[in-house]
Amino acid sequence: MLEDSARSLGKGSTPLGLVPEGLICICSMRFCPFAEKTRLVLKAEGIRYEVIYINLKDKPEWFFKKNPFSLVPVLENSQGQLIYEPAITCEYLDEAYSGKKLLPDDPYEKACQKMVFELFSKVPSLVGSFLRTQNKEDGAGLKEALCKEFSKLEEVLINKKTTFFGGNSVSMIDYVIWPSFERLEAMKLNECVDHTPELKLWMAAMREDPTVSALLTGVKDWQGFTELYLQPGGL
Amino acid sequence: MSEDATRTLGKGSQPPGPVPEGLIRIYSMRFCPFSHRTRLVLKAKNIRHEVVNINLRNKPEWYYTKHPFGHIPVLETSQCQLIYESVIACEYLDDAYPGRKLFPYDPYERARQKMLLELFCKVPHLTKECLVALRCGRECTDLKAALRQEFSNLEEILEYQNTTFFGGTCISMIDYLLWPWFERLDVYGILDCVSHTPALRLWISAMKWDPTVCALLMDKSIFQGFLNLYFQNNPNAFDFGLC
Repeated sequence: MLEDSARSLGKGSTPLGLVPEGLICICSMRFCPFAEKTRLVLKAEGIRYEVIYINLKDKPEWFFKKNPFSLVPVLENSQGQLIYEPAITCEYLDEAYSGKKLLPDDPYEKACQKMVFELFSKVPSLVGSFLRTQNKEDGAGLKEALCKEFSKLEEVLINKKTTFFGGNSVSMIDYVIWPSFERLEAMKLNECVDHTPELKLWMAAMREDPTVSALLTGVKDWQGFTELYLQPGGL
Repeated sequence: MSEDATRTLGKGSQPPGPVPEGLIRIYSMRFCPFSHRTRLVLKAKNIRHEVVNINLRNKPEWYYTKHPFGHIPVLETSQCQLIYESVIACEYLDDAYPGRKLFPYDPYERARQKMLLELFCKVPHLTKECLVALRCGRECTDLKAALRQEFSNLEEILEYQNTTFFGGTCISMIDYLLWPWFERLDVYGILDCVSHTPALRLWISAMKWDPTVCALLMDKSIFQGFLNLYFQNNPNAFDFGLC
């Protein structure tokens, strides 16, 4: 069974029991780009986990106890410890589990990955705003702003002369920024990488990564979800 | 004399040379709360460093080679590595330098400190807005109410934990990361924003006893002098209080 095919839990649902020893639980939503970061890390590091889907338009009452911001993703371990905020969950997994390390050991290289993440930081909200905009003019302005942000990332790849943002193999920074790029095609924003050839090559290389391809959502599924999500009272 | 009591470098100045072996350089400004975070960590870990203060209203052209937008703080190592964003710089110092560890070793406790930092994230902007409003003679009731709410959230944490500091019974990274804005409440004229948060007030008192915080505590009259000149757009503001 695909881990992704369970229905989401909403208002009135029963709260979850304790997380079994040896497992970690992620509260997620199938199409959420923030939760996807954490799911990529879970998959890449080979961590045993279970997924609980949350209906974000009809949140279960018990979910507010898991995260005061009541957002996904949230991790819960078998000691009942809760971790939220996507970047914090990813870093926690890398530190707490002894499998494949995604963050570099070298303090400077680790800091570099965090600085790239800062450079990327405006992208998710620009993409989110573009999704919600009804206005053609606003849409054009957002596309231009997105192109500008992508140019900054292009410069990083040009300076580093490597395929990935962390070097010659995929690492944490690539996984945490990937979800925004995965959605460009479905949102008809592919033209925003037309002027950034290195970034385009990076996207192609990411699609070849086994972890990324295991979690890819089809364009039609994504578009179907978006249509329903944007309807008032949808989903 | 404080390590950072040096005149700022502005437009037309010569760029400083390479950082000597065994030292780390911080590009800073004496009154900036973000730089203050990093200077606290440098002090707490006893890291040998040199300070280059930047005139933020008249930035040297060469400074944009250190940071694309000319922000502070920036760390520069003797291998010409540049690290910026205050939190990234603080974490880098904790990772790279031996001795006292400011972040906990336990991954969950580390994550908790970072989640706490998220809870704090509106405070810098709100305190700045309050300061600007007050200095410009504008109304700031709503801003102060918003700030009080943020402080209530932090109060709840301290009450729930029942510890003096945000990281537990001893001072740690999270306390240093939050401190600069609380040190400035008085001089900004918004100390009444903690009138409803007793645990937070106790934390403030406890922080003032910390040797690192003490060593970097800014004299109130010098800070006032800086603020007066800053709001008059005087480019010499940043050097106020230096001989």
